[in-house]
Amino acid sequence: MSRIMTVWLPRWPVQRRLLERPELRRRPVFVCRRERRGVMTVVAWAWATPPRREGASAPPSGRASLSRTSLSGIQPGMSLAEAMAALALSHGSRACHIAEVDQDDPAADMAALESLARSCRRFAPIVAIEKPSQHEHGGPECLQIDVTGTSCFFGGEGALVRTVVWTLAARGIHARAAIADTPAAAWAAAHHTDSLHATLTATVSQPRQHHGGLQKRHYRWAVVPPETHRQALADVPATALRLDTIVAAQLRDVGIETIGGIFRLPRKSLASRFAPQLSQRLAEFTGERPEPLVVPCSVELPTASQAFDFPLLLRDTTQDDLVAVIERLLQECVAPLAAQGKGVMSLQVRLERSQSAEPREACAPAVIDIGVFQPSCSAKHLVELVKLRLARMRLPREIEGIAVEVVSVGVAECRQRTLFGEAAEASASQVGMLMDRLSGRLGRGAVFEPRPVADAQPEHAWAAVPPAARGSSSRSRTTPAIKRTQQDRACENSPAARMTASVAAPQRRPIWLLPRPVRLETVSVVGSAMDQADGSSGPPVWFCIGAQRHEVVKAHGPERIETAWWRGPTVRRDYYVVETSTGSRYWIFRQRRGEWFLHGMFS
Amino acid sequence: MVTQVCNPVWDGVGSVGGLLLRQAVEWRHAQAEGQGWETVATGFPALDRLLPAGGVRRGSLIEWLADGGAPVGDACGAVALACAVACRLAVSAAQALASQAATIVVVDRGQRFYPPAVIPWLDAQTDVAATRGRRPQLVVARPSRDDDEIWAIDQALRCPGVAAVLAWPERVHSTAMRRWQLASRASGAVGLLVRGLAERQQAGAPTWADARVAVAPVAEGDSVADFAVRRLRIARVGGPWSGNEMRNEMLGDMRNEMLGERSTELRLDLTNGRESTRRHRLSGGAGTPSMAGRFQDDRFPVEGAACRAS
Repeated sequence: MSRIMTVWLPRWPVQRRLLERPELRRRPVFVCRRERRGVMTVVAWAWATPPRREGASAPPSGRASLSRTSLSGIQPGMSLAEAMAALALSHGSRACHIAEVDQDDPAADMAALESLARSCRRFAPIVAIEKPSQHEHGGPECLQIDVTGTSCFFGGEGALVRTVVWTLAARGIHARAAIADTPAAAWAAAHHTDSLHATLTATVSQPRQHHGGLQKRHYRWAVVPPETHRQALADVPATALRLDTIVAAQLRDVGIETIGGIFRLPRKSLASRFAPQLSQRLAEFTGERPEPLVVPCSVELPTASQAFDFPLLLRDTTQDDLVAVIERLLQECVAPLAAQGKGVMSLQVRLERSQSAEPREACAPAVIDIGVFQPSCSAKHLVELVKLRLARMRLPREIEGIAVEVVSVGVAECRQRTLFGEAAEASASQVGMLMDRLSGRLGRGAVFEPRPVADAQPEHAWAAVPPAARGSSSRSRTTPAIKRTQQDRACENSPAARMTASVAAPQRRPIWLLPRPVRLETVSVVGSAMDQADGSSGPPVWFCIGAQRHEVVKAHGPERIETAWWRGPTVRRDYYVVETSTGSRYWIFRQRRGEWFLHGMFS
Repeated sequence: MVTQVCNPVWDGVGSVGGLLLRQAVEWRHAQAEGQGWETVATGFPALDRLLPAGGVRRGSLIEWLADGGAPVGDACGAVALACAVACRLAVSAAQALASQAATIVVVDRGQRFYPPAVIPWLDAQTDVAATRGRRPQLVVARPSRDDDEIWAIDQALRCPGVAAVLAWPERVHSTAMRRWQLASRASGAVGLLVRGLAERQQAGAPTWADARVAVAPVAEGDSVADFAVRRLRIARVGGPWSGNEMRNEMLGDMRNEMLGERSTELRLDLTNGRESTRRHRLSGGAGTPSMAGRFQDDRFPVEGAACRAS
């Protein structure tokens, strides 16, 4: 019996955009398709970090909201106007002003999914993408991985499915995964991991009380034991069989809601009573009718591997020897790409082992993921990045082979060399390589390019975006017409945008901003003579930072910032620029309740 | 290619093309040694006069010693001045060669750097026509460990497309400093290192930096002043100037005397990161302000407090 894992990436079109532009996390994102007569239909939408609701016990995690099917009743297939109205009802009209509307781009979604499928080959050799049904609104959102016989390398199926979810989560991708006997069963299980977890734990072991009891836990993975998927998935809604809306409505009309309900009907009468799709899906679910996994067959990217005759003890091997092998494999991969004028965007180096010396140790391959900001066809540069990672990772004791796989490629910039200005020409690509090296050692999130954002709250007035390769920054400017008009409208209307002019006054912003404001211990405020009608008063006469007391000589302000009610607790601060007797300048603010905080330094 | 300069075949080439090629190779050779780096005016005449080369020479290290009143010299304006110089270097690099990438790398160890204060400076200084619509790039790297920080500064200084590297390392070994110096010599990037009070005390100690500039704010007392302008007192504290060791030795202390001033003042305009051209208002001109009006800038009366809400 085969074992199939389905990895569901909820709202993949939106997730792909969030990965490319992390600053969109703070805004609702709609991916729309233009239908006939100019009607915009929502294909997918999400708000990764929505505002905290009044009375909510805990802040909703952004990840959870990605998979929640209807946050405010917006369904795929709605028109954009309807969706905006629903959003305004649930989150206020301000949410509509900051909303990002983007054109649907199925080809780009598919390409991103294919590259993700390629990088998932570290778990099993066969990784397929689900076939989208014709009547659905969106494109494919699931990966199907044949894990028959490979799960033992990862320490069992439970450990494998957990590893998959967390590996993707580390890359900022929200995923749900499940393992079952057939692709259809795994698909159904992956889409209902929450309800499935309750039934599985109830049947396998004693039902356990969740801690707290009030807060519902979300489960992102499930493993359906072999041969039991008919019983385990009996309570899952019938729509999990990937039925069309018409068939699902027919079932609902006769009062059948779950998969178990369908199985209670006589199988022979199904074909005559319902559309043929139902019996076909049922046969796929039980495994009577095989469902082939279709490996994406677009451009095949180069791979190279080297298997050793005997297990190589890394204790006896120097890093240079290892790197020499990897460099040769990399050159094999890069050479055909360079001939096509392409360069590597990301690649995977796997140190493979089939069995470990210690029986209890899992023998999953050690994987080095390399991503670059600019397509590179220089094997030397890529080897340098691998070396940086090798030096900082824990290597397995012994390996049996090394595989290099190119995960995604881009068009490499190649230019004719000039005689005199060669140094200047090369410098642009040198900066790109520098970014790769820095992010390779410091971490992908630790190297960024700051972009100003129209937001009154100083902490949110800029966003970190991945450093763009020189010349490709114009790509983000050529946005589809719909997006631009929407943004323009948002710019004119939104209060945040109206503030942009004053936000951009740099003389009132410090060069150093503390990651979180520091409460100033002792503060003496000018007496009530300064009190104004709204209860605010002037700046302090002196304040203490640590043990040192600072006399305020001059001050400028207040600059009142009252904003962010849609993010949760309203921020209401009166900012002052104060100059002390020594000439140092600080940026301090007073909160509504009268406490003073140090927020920045004009260093 | 450089080794071919001594090739006797070349000497036989009498054509103009051969001569040009030879000059180009020699020029490249000189550049590789870091000799041919240009000197860029910082835009602050007072600072230029203080630096012996008459500006900042590419491929050099400059230490800014923050001399504030705070224990770590946090709020004295040294970082702002270094940022302004970095912006100036990047903008001039972008103007000089359109194909050259002009990047500022900020190695931000304490996660304190606040880009919205500096991005407008770059926008204000960039002449769109001269740089053909390209704005210098600002990249922030946030290392979390000391050795990562030293490595990141070294890597950034080694990169030819980087115009300036701005960092505030706390503990620096002289070996690391020497590595940075060699890296910047080779690539032409300028290292701007802001350091605190502890380094200020041992300012007499030798350093690999090409120049050391102490920066201290000027306390203007009670006078009404413009908060958009920062008055800073700068002073050169030892440190030989690169490439001029011979002349330094010959002139010795006389050279410092010839410089005329070792301590001077400049006015940094915080709106665009340039030398302030605003009229300097003399202190005490408006008389002693009353208690109520003491804290208000005259441009912002009490009732018109800058207020933003949404």
